[in-house]
Amino acid sequence: MTRFIIRRLAGLIFVMLGVSTMTFMLAQLVPVDPAANALGQNARPEQIEAYRTKMGLDRPVVEQYLTYLRRLLSGDLGESIRTRRAVLLDLRDYLPATIELAMASLVVSLLVGIPLGMWAAINRNQWNDGFARVLALLGGSLPVFYVGLLLLGLFYRQLQWLPGPGRLDSTLNPPADITGLFTVDSLLTGNWPVFQNSLAHLILPAITLGAFSTAVLVRMTRSAMLEVLAQDYVRTANAKGLSYRTVVWRHVLKNAMPPVLTTIGIIFGSLLSGAVLTETIFNWPGLGRYATTSVTSLDFPAVMGVTLVAAFIYPLVNTIVDIGYRFIDPRIQSE
Amino acid sequence: MLQRNLRRSGSYLLAMLLVLGILAGCAAPAAQTGSEASSSETAAEPAASDEVTRANTLIFAADLTDLISLDPAVAYEFGGIQVVGSIYETLVGFEPGNAEIQPLLAESWDVAEDGDMWVLTFHLNPNAKFASGNPVTAQDVLYSWSRAIDLNMSPAFLFTDVSQLTKENMAAVDDQTFEVKLPKSVSPPVFLSIISFSLAAVVEQAVVEANAGDDMGSSWLNDNSAGSGAYVLDAWDRSVSVTLNANPNYWGAAPAMKRVVMQNTPELANLQAAIETGDADIVQDLGPEQVEVLQGNPDIQLVSGQSTGLAYIGLNATEPPLDNPDVREAIRYAINYDELIALLKGNAQLVQEFIPIGFLGHTGENPFTQDIEKSKELLAKAGVAEGTEIDAMVPVGTGPGGIEWSTLAAKIQNDLAQVGLVLNLQQLQSSELLNVYRAQEGKAVFMSWGPDFPDPDGNATPFTNYEARSLAWRNEWDDAKAIEMSKAAAAEQDPTKRIELYKELTEYVQHNGPYVLLYQPTTTFGLRSNVHGFVYDPVDTPSITFALITKE
Repeated sequence: MTRFIIRRLAGLIFVMLGVSTMTFMLAQLVPVDPAANALGQNARPEQIEAYRTKMGLDRPVVEQYLTYLRRLLSGDLGESIRTRRAVLLDLRDYLPATIELAMASLVVSLLVGIPLGMWAAINRNQWNDGFARVLALLGGSLPVFYVGLLLLGLFYRQLQWLPGPGRLDSTLNPPADITGLFTVDSLLTGNWPVFQNSLAHLILPAITLGAFSTAVLVRMTRSAMLEVLAQDYVRTANAKGLSYRTVVWRHVLKNAMPPVLTTIGIIFGSLLSGAVLTETIFNWPGLGRYATTSVTSLDFPAVMGVTLVAAFIYPLVNTIVDIGYRFIDPRIQSE
Repeated sequence: MLQRNLRRSGSYLLAMLLVLGILAGCAAPAAQTGSEASSSETAAEPAASDEVTRANTLIFAADLTDLISLDPAVAYEFGGIQVVGSIYETLVGFEPGNAEIQPLLAESWDVAEDGDMWVLTFHLNPNAKFASGNPVTAQDVLYSWSRAIDLNMSPAFLFTDVSQLTKENMAAVDDQTFEVKLPKSVSPPVFLSIISFSLAAVVEQAVVEANAGDDMGSSWLNDNSAGSGAYVLDAWDRSVSVTLNANPNYWGAAPAMKRVVMQNTPELANLQAAIETGDADIVQDLGPEQVEVLQGNPDIQLVSGQSTGLAYIGLNATEPPLDNPDVREAIRYAINYDELIALLKGNAQLVQEFIPIGFLGHTGENPFTQDIEKSKELLAKAGVAEGTEIDAMVPVGTGPGGIEWSTLAAKIQNDLAQVGLVLNLQQLQSSELLNVYRAQEGKAVFMSWGPDFPDPDGNATPFTNYEARSLAWRNEWDDAKAIEMSKAAAAEQDPTKRIELYKELTEYVQHNGPYVLLYQPTTTFGLRSNVHGFVYDPVDTPSITFALITKE
C-alpha cells in the first residue's frame, strides 16, 4: 500500500514538470507584453522597461524558464505580475473558497445522486424511475449560468429565503483563519452565527455547481445497480431468504460502488477546477475567479500557478480513488 | 433510516472520509505559509465592533477587481485610491464640487522664487494627528514622499517625472514646516493638484518603519493602516471586500458611518440585486439596462456622476491620408455626434475638447456637428479619392459609458462611409492594441483616456506635447506651437490668465490636432433612499467622501 502511494506520488512529479513546461511555453506564444499590461495605459515607456527588468522579463526565454524551474523546485511559484504578491500566497487566499464550494457540491451530489440512482434502479421502469431520469436529464442539460441565475432570482430576490452572492454577509467578519473553509473554521472556533451564515451562503452555489455532477451520479448509480441486480448471486441471496434491504445494501450497493467511486473521483476533480462560472455568478472569491482575472491581465506566473494546482488535483484525486477501491473490494490489493 | 444504513456499509463512508481527510490535510500546511498576510487581525478587534450595527455601517458595492494595493505609494486604480483616500490625508485637497485647491493637513502655503527654482513652503495644521494619536509632522511628510520616490511604483512618475521632485529638494524645516523646491519648468498650480492625489498621502513614519520588512512596509500597509484620515483599515479580504472602521482619534468631525464595507461585486446583475434587496447601500457603475429597471423604484435613488475620462479616436499624423490636417478635420465633420450620444443612453456627455468637464479650463464649446458637404469639400481639397481606405484599431469589450467598442466603431464607420471614407475595423485585445499604439504603429485608433492628476495639464501635456511620449507622440503629432502653448499654460500662476491660455490651446488642438474627441462618460450610482450626503467628484481624492455620508 505504502509503495503504491509512493509510486503514484512520484508519477505526480513528472506530470507537474510536464504541465509547467507546457504552460511556460504557451505563455511565450502570447503576443503581448505582460509588463505593459500590468502598468496600465498611462505608463511611460521607461517605467515599462524598468518593470520588465525587475520581473526578469527581459532575459532570454531559456534563462527565464530555468529560473522558473529552479524556483518551482524550491516551492516558489513566483510573484504575480498583477497583485505583486507571491502566487503561493494568492493561491492560499483563493483555493480554500473553491475547496469549500467543491466539497459542498460533492455533498449535494452524493446525498441526492446516489439515493436517487438507487431508487430509480430498484423501481426500474416505474414512475419513480422515470421521475429520476427526467431530473437527471434536466440537471445534466441546463447550463450552469442559467441554473445559478434562476436560483438567485427565486430564493434570494423573490422569496428572500437565502442570502445572495458572496461567502458571508458583509456585516459579518470572517472566522479566524485555520483551514480557510468558513464553515469548518467557524465550527472549530464555536462561532455559531458565522457558521449558519456561511452555510446558508453555500447552499445555492453548491446546488448550482453540483447539478451536473448529481445528474451524472444518478445515471451511473442506476446503471451500476441494474447490472448487479441481474447477477446470479443476487438471485441466490434473494432465494436464501435474506431481507430485501440486506440484499440491496450489502450485496448490490457494495458491488455497484467501484464504478460509482471512479465517477465521484472524476466529478470532484472537475468540481474543483471547473467552478469558474458558478464563482462568477455567486461572486465567490475562489480559484476560478482568480484564474480568469489572471488570464485577462496576462499574469503568467499566476496562470501557471493555477494550472499547476489543477494538474495536481486530478492525479491526487485519482490516487485517493484507487485507495478507496481497496477498501470496497479487497481483491484489488493483490493486483 | 437511510443514514443508519449508510453507516452500515462502512466502506463507502470510509472512502468518503478519506477524501475529506486528505483534503483537510492539504489545506492545513497551506494555512501556515500565508499566516503573516492573512486576515487573522479581523477577529482581534471586538472592542471597536461592539457599537457597530447595520444602521451605522455603509455597504458600498462596486467592481473592485483592480484593487492590488492599499499602500499610498503603490495604489493607482479606482479601488485602491478610494481606500487610500479614506484612510490617509494629503497636505492639500479638493472639496467635493469645487475645482479650487483647499487646505487639508497644511493649513496654509506660500509660493516664492529662489533663483531658478520655485520654493513652496507648507505650514502644517498643529491639530492634525494620526490614528495613533501622534501629531502629523513635517518629518512624516518628508518620509512619505521620499518613500514614494524610492519605491518608484506606478504613480511615482507624478513626483519624479511630472513634478521633477527629488529627495534633495525636500526638507522638514521644523515640525510644522515643510519645504519643497521645484525647477521653474514645473508649474506650482500643477504641483498642488498632484499632491492632492493619494500618492502624496502622509503615512506615520514611526509606524511604517517599525513594520518595514524588505519592501518599506508596502505589504504591511495592505493589511494595516498608518494614516490620519477619518477611517482606519480593519481588513482587506483579497478580492472580496475592504472593511474600514471609523478612526477613534480622528482630528476632524467624526464620521456618521462607524464602518464602511467596500464589497467587490463585478457582475452588473449582482449589483442590481444588492441595491434592490438593500444588501448594499450604494452601488457603483450601473449599466444602462440596470438603470432602466431601477428607475421608478421608490427605495432607490439614481445619481449620475461625471467621470474624468474621454473617449476619442487617435489619427496618426504621419500616415497618409491622415497626415493632411484637412482630412482629419473632414473626419470630425463627418460624424453624427447626436446619434452617437443617443447610442450611449444618457451614459455620456458630448465633449469635443481634451479638457474634461469639471476641470479648470474646460470651455464647454463643441464646434463640430455633422456637415457632410463641408466634409466632402475638405476631402476634395486634400485630394482624397472616394473609397479611400483607413485602417482602424478597436479594443474588444466594453468602452467608456458601457457601450461595446465595436458598436461605437460601427457607428463611426457608417458615418464616414457617407463622405466616401472606408474604415477597416480591426478588433484587438486592448493590451495588444496599446502595444501597437505605443510603438506609433496605429493609424486610426479608438481609445479612451483618463488624466493622471486633476489639473488641465494632466491632459494638455499628453495630448499636445510630443516630447512627453504620450498621446501626441503615439499619434506622431510633433507640433512646436502646441508644445509651446501647453508649456506656457501650465506655468501660468494666475488662474484667470491660465483659463484663457487653455482656451486658446483647446481651439488650436480642436482643428489641428490628431484627435476626434467623442464624449465624456458618466457613471451611474444607485443609492438606497435613506442614504444622504453622497457626492461623487472625480477630481477629488477620494472621489467619494465616506465621512460625509449619513443614513436615516
